[in-house]
Amino acid sequence: MTSLSSTTSSKAGGIFASLRGWFSEARNTILFVIGFLLFWELAVIVFRIPRYILPSLSSIIRQFVRNFDLIWEYTLITGYETLVGFVIAVAIGVPLAMLTAFSRILRQTFYPFAVALEMVPKIAFAPLFVTWFGFGFIPKMIIVFLVCFFPILLNGILGFTSLSQEMVYFSRSTGASQLRMFWKIRLPAALPELFVGLKGAAVNATVGATISEWIGGDAGLGYYIQIATGQLRMDLAFAIIFMLTALGLLLFYIVQLVEKRMIPWHVSQRVSVFGKREI
Amino acid sequence: MKDLIQINGVKKVYQSKAGPIHALGPIDLNIREGEFISIVGPSGCGKSTLLLLVGGLLEYEAGQIFINGNLVNKPQTDIGIVFQTPVLVDWRDVLGNVLLQIEMRGLKKEVYIEKARNLLRSVGLAEFEKRYPFELSGGMQQRAAFCRALIHDPPLVLMDEPLGALDAITREQLRVDLEQLWLLTKKTVLFVTHSIPESVQLSDRVVVFTPRPGQIAEIIEIDLPRPRTIAVRESAAFQQYIHQLTSIFMNFGILRDTVSTNQQKAVVGEE
Ligand SMILES: Nc1ncnc2c1ncn2[C@@H]1O[C@H](COP(=O)(O)OP(=O)(O)OP(=O)(O)O)[C@@H](O)[C@H]1O
Ligand SMILES: [Mg+2]
Repeated sequence: MTSLSSTTSSKAGGIFASLRGWFSEARNTILFVIGFLLFWELAVIVFRIPRYILPSLSSIIRQFVRNFDLIWEYTLITGYETLVGFVIAVAIGVPLAMLTAFSRILRQTFYPFAVALEMVPKIAFAPLFVTWFGFGFIPKMIIVFLVCFFPILLNGILGFTSLSQEMVYFSRSTGASQLRMFWKIRLPAALPELFVGLKGAAVNATVGATISEWIGGDAGLGYYIQIATGQLRMDLAFAIIFMLTALGLLLFYIVQLVEKRMIPWHVSQRVSVFGKREI
Repeated sequence: MKDLIQINGVKKVYQSKAGPIHALGPIDLNIREGEFISIVGPSGCGKSTLLLLVGGLLEYEAGQIFINGNLVNKPQTDIGIVFQTPVLVDWRDVLGNVLLQIEMRGLKKEVYIEKARNLLRSVGLAEFEKRYPFELSGGMQQRAAFCRALIHDPPLVLMDEPLGALDAITREQLRVDLEQLWLLTKKTVLFVTHSIPESVQLSDRVVVFTPRPGQIAEIIEIDLPRPRTIAVRESAAFQQYIHQLTSIFMNFGILRDTVSTNQQKAVVGEE
């Protein structure tokens, strides 16, 4: 038996080997999550926690399966708001961060203003946007945009202004043009900080979408949670929350994947998600 | 030998929030071609400032600097610079960092790869060209920084305390390596240091600065055979130079044997 399984795996090679590598690295994490979920299920049964306070895991899964069609439909709606808001925030935030970093005027005028705006609780605008734009897609997209925009902008500015004075002196002594200096030094040097902002924005994005749907929505996962809790269907509410979490994680991992591709050299990339040092 | 650099009555005043700071000068100094010249002086006396002025990286208020007869009024590109920290970029390996100098200048990378490898070999980094800065010790990073400053074959190299951040033993070794590199390349080197022995070991001339605003207190010719081996460094002549420089420092009150009674009181916190 042992010899058989070992020969198969060595022949299967690549994918299985890397999957197994991933699993052995992630094993503790996976075991912990499984343990946690089991504890949840048992605790609810053993301590007889009422369903409308904390539903059991199995009932959540049941609800998830039973209502999957609607959950999926709303996932697409919320996902769309999240994605569009996030992408627009990146498309405007990154170039604006660049401009602000390189323009003395903008640094003196726009930057302090942006820092002040960052302090404004963006969610508070949701009711206003509903009156202005109705219950549809636009107000949610704007809220997502706002909660994503500021981390991207502020971390971006930080990134683009983070060059040491010595590095600037070195660059000048080479006689390189501003453009070449940007591509060869400023941009790569800015990426780590920029990705801190992008990841923060990815975390904010689903939160923004959910809350804006609570405040004025007629569709989407946030709206659905409100309906479910209103009917004291906590198991359904948790099922939706799991879906929202998955949505948030998906966006976060996409950003992280791009980050891994773009800045494999950075310190932040030398520790894997599972906390094991790779080097 | 002819003068490569002429510094005539140069003065630097920084504008700071607390008002103007007269950091340096006036300075008059000529630096010969192929010379290794050190600047020593107390902290804050304007050594780095002078280096940056020569590199055309700072504006000056009075006087003129000429390199090869040309007035310095913009960043000089015919130079190599090394700072106290290696200032390598994280996203390039050692070879890539050395070649950054070439790429920034828009020169053909392929032409310089061999030369980069030779330079790396000469500082003992031959096996490390594929390593990234975070995989190297501080001393190794600084060696890579030396290579980056030399790869484009500049006639002038500016070094601002390049060994200052290293541990004593690495520092000792790098001094030897640095002299070796200099003997091979015969570049003009303007070298800032805090260390009197270091200046004696490496220099043809040592320029001593006064406290801020830095002015030239004295220039000492170091007439010792090269390479300055351990035997040379332990010679009476070498010690004599150190003694001479130390007494200049003591005359300025930069160095002293004991803390004066007034300062002792200040330290202890009595009136
Ligand atoms: N950008 C600046 N703005 C205002 N003052 C400055 C600036 N840079 C340097 N100075 C001042 O000018 C003086 C000389 O500075 P400099 O860095 O040239 O000294 P240094 O001799 O290199 O000192 P150290 O040995 O500590 O490196 C210092 O007193 C410093 O406070
Ligand atoms: Mg200095």
